[in-house]
Parts: sequence; structure tokens; C-alpha cells
Amino acid sequence: MRVEQITSHQIDRSKPLTFIFNNKKYKGFEGDTLASALIANDALLFARSFKYGRKRGLMAAGVEEPNALVSLEMGGRYTPNLKATEIPLYDGLSAKSATNPHSFDLRAFIKPLHRFMPAGFYYKTFIKQAVWAKVEDSLRALSGFSEAPTQEDVDVYDHVHHHAEVLIVGGGAAGMSAALEVLKNSDSERVILVDERARLGGELFNEFASDEAAAIWHEEGVADLCGFAKEQSDRFTMLTRATAYAWHDQNYVEVLETHATGENLSLTNGSQVRKTLHKIRAKKVILATGAHERPMLFEANDLTNIMLSQSVRRYLNEFGAVSGKKVVVYGNNDSIYQTAQDLHRCNISCTVIDVRSAGATNSIADKTRQGGIKVMQGYAIVKAHGSDKVDGIDVALAVRQGVSWEVIGESESLSCDLLATSGGFNPVVHLDCHTGAKATFDEVSQAFLPQKERPNRQTCGAVSGVGAWHDAVIDAKNKAQLTLQSLGVVSEVNNAELGENHSNYYNVGEFFTPAAIIERPKVFLDLQNDVTTLDVALSIREGYRSIEHIKRYTAMGFGTDQGKTGNINGIAVAAAILGKTMPEVGTTTFRPAYTGVDFGALAGRENGGLFDPQRYTTIHDSHVAKGAEFEVVGQWYRPWYYPKTGENIHQAVHRECLAARTSLGMMDASTLGKIDVQGPDAREFLSRVYTNAWMKLAPGSCRYGLMCNEKGMIIDDGVSTCIGDNHFIMTTTTGGAASVYSTLEMWLQTEWNHLDVHLNSVTDHYSTIAVVGPNARNLMKLLCQDVDFDRESFKFMQWRPGIVCGVSARIMRISFSGELAYEINVEANYGRYIWDQVATVGEKWNITPYGTESMHVLRAEKGYIIVGQDTDGSMTPADVNMNWIVANNKPFSFIGQRSFSIAALSAENRFQLIGLLTKDASVVIPEGAHIIDNGGKSVGYVTSSYFSPMLGRSIAMAQMQGGLSKVGETTIVKIVQEKQGLKEIPCEISSSVFYDINGERVDGND
Amino acid sequence: MFLIHCPYCNEEREQEEFSPAGEAFIARPEAPEDISDEAWADYVFYRTNHKGDHWEQWVHSNGCRKYFMVERSTITHEILKVAAFGADISE
Repeated sequence: MRVEQITSHQIDRSKPLTFIFNNKKYKGFEGDTLASALIANDALLFARSFKYGRKRGLMAAGVEEPNALVSLEMGGRYTPNLKATEIPLYDGLSAKSATNPHSFDLRAFIKPLHRFMPAGFYYKTFIKQAVWAKVEDSLRALSGFSEAPTQEDVDVYDHVHHHAEVLIVGGGAAGMSAALEVLKNSDSERVILVDERARLGGELFNEFASDEAAAIWHEEGVADLCGFAKEQSDRFTMLTRATAYAWHDQNYVEVLETHATGENLSLTNGSQVRKTLHKIRAKKVILATGAHERPMLFEANDLTNIMLSQSVRRYLNEFGAVSGKKVVVYGNNDSIYQTAQDLHRCNISCTVIDVRSAGATNSIADKTRQGGIKVMQGYAIVKAHGSDKVDGIDVALAVRQGVSWEVIGESESLSCDLLATSGGFNPVVHLDCHTGAKATFDEVSQAFLPQKERPNRQTCGAVSGVGAWHDAVIDAKNKAQLTLQSLGVVSEVNNAELGENHSNYYNVGEFFTPAAIIERPKVFLDLQNDVTTLDVALSIREGYRSIEHIKRYTAMGFGTDQGKTGNINGIAVAAAILGKTMPEVGTTTFRPAYTGVDFGALAGRENGGLFDPQRYTTIHDSHVAKGAEFEVVGQWYRPWYYPKTGENIHQAVHRECLAARTSLGMMDASTLGKIDVQGPDAREFLSRVYTNAWMKLAPGSCRYGLMCNEKGMIIDDGVSTCIGDNHFIMTTTTGGAASVYSTLEMWLQTEWNHLDVHLNSVTDHYSTIAVVGPNARNLMKLLCQDVDFDRESFKFMQWRPGIVCGVSARIMRISFSGELAYEINVEANYGRYIWDQVATVGEKWNITPYGTESMHVLRAEKGYIIVGQDTDGSMTPADVNMNWIVANNKPFSFIGQRSFSIAALSAENRFQLIGLLTKDASVVIPEGAHIIDNGGKSVGYVTSSYFSPMLGRSIAMAQMQGGLSKVGETTIVKIVQEKQGLKEIPCEISSSVFYDINGERVDGND
Repeated sequence: MFLIHCPYCNEEREQEEFSPAGEAFIARPEAPEDISDEAWADYVFYRTNHKGDHWEQWVHSNGCRKYFMVERSTITHEILKVAAFGADISE
């Protein structure tokens, strides 16, 4: 309900908004969050818990909320797993629970069974794969999270890089104070202040009702900061609704900002950026991340309307919303009295139950009693009652006996409709720990505080255990001064005194973990993951002692919770069971991300067409005009095949292959990597990086080379052309160009810097057009008059300079198809012109452009390997039957040579490249199919497989253990077909050369 | 996530411009054919995986494409020194 007495400026009662939650219509106000508006509407059910199917409501008011996960909007703006506490209300908002509390699904059915489902239940039950396979789908649907989006995200996300001298994380009293102090005492230093909430102030709003000074300080502080942001916008950036979710090395902080209108479709209309990922590199970081309240432990502490005390206070003071009329406030520290007083002031009936015994805390208790509030000191809540929602509690006397707590005597019952609890405060050390800092336990404040000293970082306010706002303001000023001093901006530091007892302002008592309570059922530590105290006890009984193992076995702190609400209580319970202290148990490791980050935000603009660079040859437009289908190879868009009207890929490839074999084909080969190698030691260099000999290759000649790494494994291949004694052009595979270039540079720069060799990537500098087929020579004679194309004077593996259609060209006689072929290399910008000339002149031989698919068929017919397809980084030249290219007698031990003599590389059962001929010539084996031996074991797999138009049958290349010694044998290839099970394909093992075995076609017919 | 000072460009740039290139000072044996399999395997495969201050190679792959050496703490990721090949790193 809405409390009329509260005159908060944070909601605007003159601006009512309508929204839909779980298919029902509600009203709220401008300034509400989804959570506060639903509290005002008394709509309190948010979820069914993922394991036990228990109904859950709100527990908190901020980022730490574990239960109220919702999905927002539909279609292209659907966003899963947002916290209702973090969604600002807007008119027309539509949201749904991640797990519908009102539906009767499998979870509701599971609920009565939950005592049979302790920690490790799923591990133990489903360790047998057969059982898991049957239930996987239905259990995954109960994950406790929203369904994954099914449509493309229609929104736009940005990345922004910042450099700053000072980054302040957190815009509560401490963060505001730190920012103001830095800004007032510096002139040019760049400052960024980020806060996760829509409004600066943090928990300060809680104080407004009882402390006028807080409201005044806040108003002035916000005005001053806004003034700086306006007048010094070149050096001060203030981001709200911006969560610093990761802190990486060297003060690199990632911040996700949700724009104020980001989720409001009516306003953005798709034209505005929805979220911005800020990448901030800061010289100094001031952490003012505050603290999260932790709940008290008792049976059924997860019932709806059992909330954190400071959250109840915040809903009341900031939004004028409260979810009960008869409230019990329960805890172990003084902050509960403030909550009670605030409620009482609004005429809401409340009772305070303080687990600490009467004595030290009498003054605040007495003062509260005088105000007319019932206070029970030294009592503990043992159990909460209620079916969906809390309706009462059992309380009993709590006594401290030495180091442990006990609950004694008969319990009595009290009725209530809202229970607010506070078990102390957990400093938000998550971010600080992302780069390896260790949180240490502080006995005084009963909390894990950030590591004391870290370079380039200060902490202030509640994260340092300074709880009172006025102390936090002073603490922040001191830390800001220290930061300015470390930047050299100020020379002396004003170190102001903080108030008395500032380090434990709320007098937090010890963790309340008596055996009589933690041995009860349904005492929940982590509500999001349904982890109870009994789960922790069980994991310890089963031998898990480290808190890291207990966490993993119980799933405590998993999911979006990331240890915000439950972990510290979990550590306390483990400590009680193990008989250890808190520091001995220690914390789990906090890792990025602190909160959920949208995939869209991570991708930013690098999406769709900007996901990866797209490379086109200068001939691309012609391929498009011819109707080519494309495939992407190492960012290049290469023609895959050129279908004529009505042709499918098989028909097109069939036609293209026959053209190249019987008359004339042409191909755009411009994408092959090209490296210009120059210098007096160029030959020596090639000899070192290729397995074969290069010292005697004459200018005018070309040679194929195979490149290995030091492990002796093939990494690349290609033809290099000798332009002159000091000048070669190396070609690499299309996909390997960048990595080969980088590897060669590494050798030259790190090992062989005495070699006088220079490399330059010239892939883009030349267009390469291959003309292939028995009529290639006839065509070349028409295209180029100043070169003698006679077979004896221009031999295979030679090149000649010439003028092709008026353009200066290098013509190589090399072949990747086994046919007579020439490659015409011209300056890249002439590529399209020469391509068109070749196509026109070649018409009399019905010249046919072909793509990568036909290229693959033609090369496979000849048994030529594709590095990366027929090899996988574990193949030596011997494995692919290419020992002929290894020159072991070169003076310099080439890269990889030494490894060849290691025994393992000549083992008989190595995978070796063979051919496979199916018994049924029409069956084409799918690539990746496995070769199965008589024992049913896989002994290899198919790497390339095609139907050969020339041979009229299928051909395949495969890697097979000891395959080269099995040529001529029959084997079985098995493939798994969806819904049809295994299919067996009998094959003959053959040589991997299928066509033109003696290599007679390369000189042509004439 | 580091900022790395390229000794050739003489500028501090984001890590995304660079690529790591393994441990520094792994020299290729002068005469590979003369050494034992163990010694060869030590060169090819074995690295110190040192915890502490560690010299490694980086390349300014989206910049000047030069390889250089970086001394980095593998505990804190602090970069202590940067040196071009051949530079004196004793100081």
C-alpha cells in the first residue's frame, strides 16, 4: 500500500503510470521502480523457487534482490532476468516473472518432495546418463530463470572509451562526497562518477525522514555535482543507472549504463542507444560501493513479505510504499530501531525483536520504547509461519554461552504480516576482489572489509565499514585528499576526525547461528538457489571443508546472486559447524561480472555487417552479376559456385568441373596470401622455413613448398616464385596468410635478425586470374603476344613477364587442378578488366568461371591436400605421403626437421592420409564420418569427400591410423544419421590420387 | 586488459593492439640435429610457467608489427619493463 504521510520527492504522485505485470494491469507513479509500484499495489508474489517450488516475494530494494527476476517486454525488445528492483517504471511497461508464481507447473508438484532433494541431489541422481537424457528437457525448463530470447534484438548498443585521473564507483553519501572533494581541489584532472541507481544518494534517502541534515546535504551535493557536470563537462562525467561490473588489471573498469529511456519503447522507437558499455581506464579508483544488508536466519525465512530491514525502510521513505500493517523488525544491530521508528512515525504498528541481550544497547532500546514501540531484547525468531505469505512467528529466549549461541525455553507465537530483518552489513567488496584483493574479516564490524592497502585505490564509506552517513562523508573527503596527493595535485592532506564508534556505528552483534536454528529445515541462506543450512551441513558431512568446495556443492551464491545476500551467512554457518572462526573459513572468490551484462552491450556495434571485416576482390562485382553463391574464407568472400538458372550446387559443380577438364575454366585466385620476400638472404630464409630446397631455384621458375612448425607439423603450403636472386613472391593459403606472415616475422625479428631479408604482405596488391584446361595455352596466345607459350620454352612451374591485353603481368604456369593452367597476376586494379578480357576471348572455348567448390573437387581428384582441411595441426609430411618434398640434407636444419627423427613421429599407428572409394560409386560419404575397425573402434575420419564428374564416382580423402599400409583393403565407414541411427558404408582404401595418376595432363593436349 | 608501451612506436596502447608471443629467451638450439630428443623437446615444448616476474614476448600485431620483450608480474599483471630485442635489460 501507499503511505500518504510520506512526501518523498522521488515519486511524482501527479504523474500516474499504468503497467502490466504477469498479465494484470496496475498503476504506479513516475519515479517508482517496478518493485516499489507492485508493493504499493500489494502484489507481492514474484516467483516460484527453482528447486523446491516455494513461492517467493521481494527481499530487497536494490541490486542484491535474489527473487524478483522478471523478463521485460516482448519480441525484439524482450530482456530476460532483470531485477524488478532495478527497473524504473514507465507508462505501458509490460513484465513477467521469470518463474510464474501463479502457475501450477512441475515446481508446484515438486514442492512436497523437497526434503528428499538435498544438496548434490541432481549430481547423485543423474550421474547415470540414461536417466538424465530422459528428463533433461523438462528439468532445464525449471532453471529458475527467464526463457532465452527467440527474436533478434532490435536495439542499438554503444561502446565508449574513457581515460580519467579519478574514477569514483558509487554515488551514495561517500561517493558524492569524494567526487565533490576531488573536483573542488583540482582544476584539470578528469573525474568520472558512476552509480547503479537512477538517482544519486544511495542509502541516504533512508535517513531523510529522521534526519533533516541528510536531506539538506543531499540536495546541495546533487546541485553542486550537477553544476560541475554542466560547467566542467570536459573533465567531469557523471553516469547514473551505470553499474561498474568488472575491474580488470591496471585500473580498467567496465561500466554498463542503461539509458533512462532505454527500456521504454514508446520513447526510443528504436532510434536511440539502449545501453552503453563504458570502458574506463583510470589512474586512481575510489570505491564507495556501500554495503548490502544480510538477513537473519530462522526456519521458513524465505516466506513472502520477509524482507531486509533497510529495504523496508527504503521502500517506505523513498517510494512511500509498504507491504504490511503489522510489522516485526528483527535483528542484531541498532539499524532495526531506525526502521521501527520510521514505520511508527507513519502509524504502522511494529514490534522490535533484538537478538542481543539487554545491557549495552539499552539506550536506543529505551528511547524506542518511550516512543511507544514494543521492544523485546534477547529474543530470537525460531520459525516463521504462513502458507504463501508470513502471518506469524515463534520467538524464544536467546542466550550467548561462551563462544556459541543457544535458544532456550518454550517458544511463544506472535502474529505479523511483514517481517523486516537485519543481520548486519556486507561491504560490497566484489569489485575490489576482481583483481585479486583479499577481503579480511573485521571482528569489530562483523564484516569482511576490503584489503587495507592497494596501489591506486582507496575505499570509503560503508564498504570500509563506515556506516553512518555523516562519517562516510568525512571518510570520503579524507580518501579523496589522499588520492589527490598521490596524483601530486595537493601536497598536504587534511585528515579530519570521524565520529566516535564510526567503525561499528550500528553495534552489530555476532553472527546468530545457534545449533537449535541452523539444524532446522528450510533455513534458507541463498534464496535464488534454494540453499539451506542443512545443505551446508550435508556438504561438510560428505567431506567438503573448503568454503570454495561447499559453495560449489551447494550452488550457494551462483546465478545472478553472485554472493550478494547469502554467502556471508553461509560462511558463518560453515564456521559454526566446523568449529572455526570466520577468518579461518574465509570467503569465496568474487569474479566478474558483478551483475548481468547484456550480450548486445558486449557486442556493441560490432554486429551484423560489422561483426568481422569483409574482404572482396576487385573482380567481386562480376561474380555477383554472374549470380555466384559465396563462401567466406579467412574474411574473403570467394565465389563458391556459379549456378545457372535452375541449377543446384551439384549440377553447377558438375558443369564447372567438366569445363575445366575438357576445355577451359577460369577462377579468381586473388585471395591467396602473397608475401613479397626481398633481400640477399631471401633464398636462405626460404630454405629455413620450407622443408624443400630453394638455393638453386632459377629466376623465372616457381616451386611448391610445404611449411612446418618446430613440432614437425604442417602449417601451410603454397607456390613461391623466383623473381630474381634477391626477390621471391611467396603464396600462402587464403586462410593462413596472416598467421604465416606473423610467424615468419617472428623468426626474422627474434632469431634471425642477422639475415638480410624483408617481408611485405602484398595479398591485396595483385589480382590473380587462373585459366585452366586443355585450351589454356590457346587462350594465352591470344591474350599475350610477347611471351612464347610453347610447351618446351615455357614449362610447367615457370613464370614469364608479359603484356596481357595491354597490362603488365606476371604469368605463372602452375596448376592446382592437374590441368594445363596459367595464373595471370596483374596490379589489383586491373583485375576486373583482365577478367572480362579473359571471359570474352575465351568464349570460343566456352570458358566457364568456377568457384571454390569445383576447385576442391579438381584438386581432390589429384589428391592435393588443403592445409587445415586434410591436415589438422598433427600431420607431418610423412603422414600425408609427401616425404618427397622433405630435403633432409640442407645445411641449415629447417623448421621442424629435428622433430621428424623423434620416434613418435614414425610410429606405425599414426593417422595417415589415404583415399576411400565407396563400393557403391554413387554414395558420397559425409565429411567427418568415422572409419570403424572390426572391433567397432574409430580408427580415422573422412576429411574431404566429393562426387567426381570425370570419374563418374565418389571420391574421399581420410586420415586413418596406419592407413598407408592398408591400401587395397576394405573397410567400413559409419555415419550417424539423425533419427535413422548408424549407417554403414563399405569402402576400399586407396591412394589419395584418383585421376591422372601419372600427371600427364599438366602439359595439355597439343 | 593491459596498457603496453611499444618500444618502437614509443607509445602506451591498449592490449587489443598486441598479441602475446610466448616466453622470452627461448633460443633455438644452434645445431638441432646434434642434441638429444630430450633437449629438443625441452626447447619445443617446455616453458617455465613462472609465478612472479616473467620475461615474455609480445608483438604489436595491429600496429608496427614489431616483436619485443616485456617483463610482467604473472601475479599482479604489472608490467615492469619493456625492451626491444638487443636492448640492454640488465638495469
